[in-house]
Amino acid sequence: MRYRVGLAITIMLLTLLLSSCGAAQELGINWRGLLGQFIAFGILLGLLLFFAYRPITRMLNNRSQRIKESMDQAEYIKEQTAKTEKMVQEQLAEARRQGQGLVAQAEQIGERLKEEARQQAKQDAEAIVARARSEIKAENEESIAQLRREFVDVAIQAAEKVINRALDKETHRQLIEETLKESTDLKKEG
Amino acid sequence: MPNLGRKSKVLIVIVLALALMLIGALFFPVPQPGIELSANYGGGVGPEPFFQLGPIYFTNTLIASFMSILVLAGLFYFGTRKMKLVPTGLQNLVEAIVETLLNFFEGVAGKENARRFLPVIATIFLYVVTNAWLGLLPIFNAIGWGEPGTSGNLLSSIAGSVFPEYDGFIVKTALFRPANTDINVPLMLALVSFLAVEYWGVTAIGARHYAAKFFRYGQLIGALGLLVRGRVKSALSGIFYGGIDVFVGGLELLSEFVRIISFTFRLFGNMTAGEVLLLMMAFLVPWLIAVPFYGLEALLGAIQALIFAGLTLVFATLAVTPHEQEPE
Repeated sequence: MRYRVGLAITIMLLTLLLSSCGAAQELGINWRGLLGQFIAFGILLGLLLFFAYRPITRMLNNRSQRIKESMDQAEYIKEQTAKTEKMVQEQLAEARRQGQGLVAQAEQIGERLKEEARQQAKQDAEAIVARARSEIKAENEESIAQLRREFVDVAIQAAEKVINRALDKETHRQLIEETLKESTDLKKEG
Repeated sequence: MPNLGRKSKVLIVIVLALALMLIGALFFPVPQPGIELSANYGGGVGPEPFFQLGPIYFTNTLIASFMSILVLAGLFYFGTRKMKLVPTGLQNLVEAIVETLLNFFEGVAGKENARRFLPVIATIFLYVVTNAWLGLLPIFNAIGWGEPGTSGNLLSSIAGSVFPEYDGFIVKTALFRPANTDINVPLMLALVSFLAVEYWGVTAIGARHYAAKFFRYGQLIGALGLLVRGRVKSALSGIFYGGIDVFVGGLELLSEFVRIISFTFRLFGNMTAGEVLLLMMAFLVPWLIAVPFYGLEALLGAIQALIFAGLTLVFATLAVTPHEQEPE
């Protein structure tokens, strides 16, 4: 503060000194003119501060602020878009993976079903074959028994005719049965 | 317009120019300009001022100053009356002016300082350039008080029988005179620049630090202390370098004040010389010869304004820079 007062006094003295000498007057240095010019400059400074510097710097600040905001916003939108894109990609990949899983599962199930069906068919077929076999066997045995019975009767009739006399039917039957049995046993062994 | 070759076009222009100058010299002679360094402050040196308002004398230069202020204030008032985010018309112009200056300041002083320096330095620039350019208007130095009389000129003194002398009204005290040619304007601007620079320097780095740039007694006093303690050899070299330091500080202080004088006379001299040049050219050969010099003066006015503002800016930047960071 003291420094500034000293400065002002120095300037005043300097001006007085300059305006007091004749050369200064010849040049036109004049404290009244200087005062008038200071006032003029002060008015101009005030007017320009009010009409030019303040509103324009404020406007420039506003504008740069606005531009910064828009750029930030653009950046944000860009980021958001990238994020969304990534999300969509991920979802697509997920869906693809799930679909592949489903297909694989379906294939597996189909395979199993096929296998089961095959097993079932095989079992059925075996059962049918077994039944057929047993039936055939039974029929075979039946027909063998039938045949034997018929054969015995025929043999008895033949023997009756041969010896012309009736033999004790029961005894002969037993006899022939034994013989047949022996023969079949022989056949089997043979 | 008939189809002419380049050569004949040039020839026609030259002939027309010569004819214009001849007509001007023959029928419209110009009186010898009365050149005075001082504006009309009266007091035995020049003509009396037009009127007085308390301590303020309304002279032709002060009127011109107020014209400049009116022009600038009007321009910026209408330019910033309805500010829009997307500028149109005059707003573009005034914004471009301020932004260009601000960018220039930022380039020299940095972003923060530029905002601080802007009002004062930009006003100096705009004031000087407007004064200079308004001073080129033909109403300057041509309207005013005077008396009828005759005045010879160069051509009439060479061939008086062909070229007439000027005979008519001769302006003694012009109503408008370019403000920059009144030494009080450059002096005021120099003082404003000086005060602003000192103010910025003191507020930016503190009065003690700022004054320390000029009063460098530290080393000398230290050396004297050594002498008292009897270490003569180191004391002597200390006194030598301390003395240089004090001297350099004194030079720095002196240069601060010398700036006022150099600022004042640079602007005053350039502008007054330009004014005299224009008047003399018009006087020597009327019409046309002065035209290129008007272009020159328009350029010079802008350059002087730029120099004034630029130097103030540089001094201000130096003043607010702490010593340690001061570029060597």
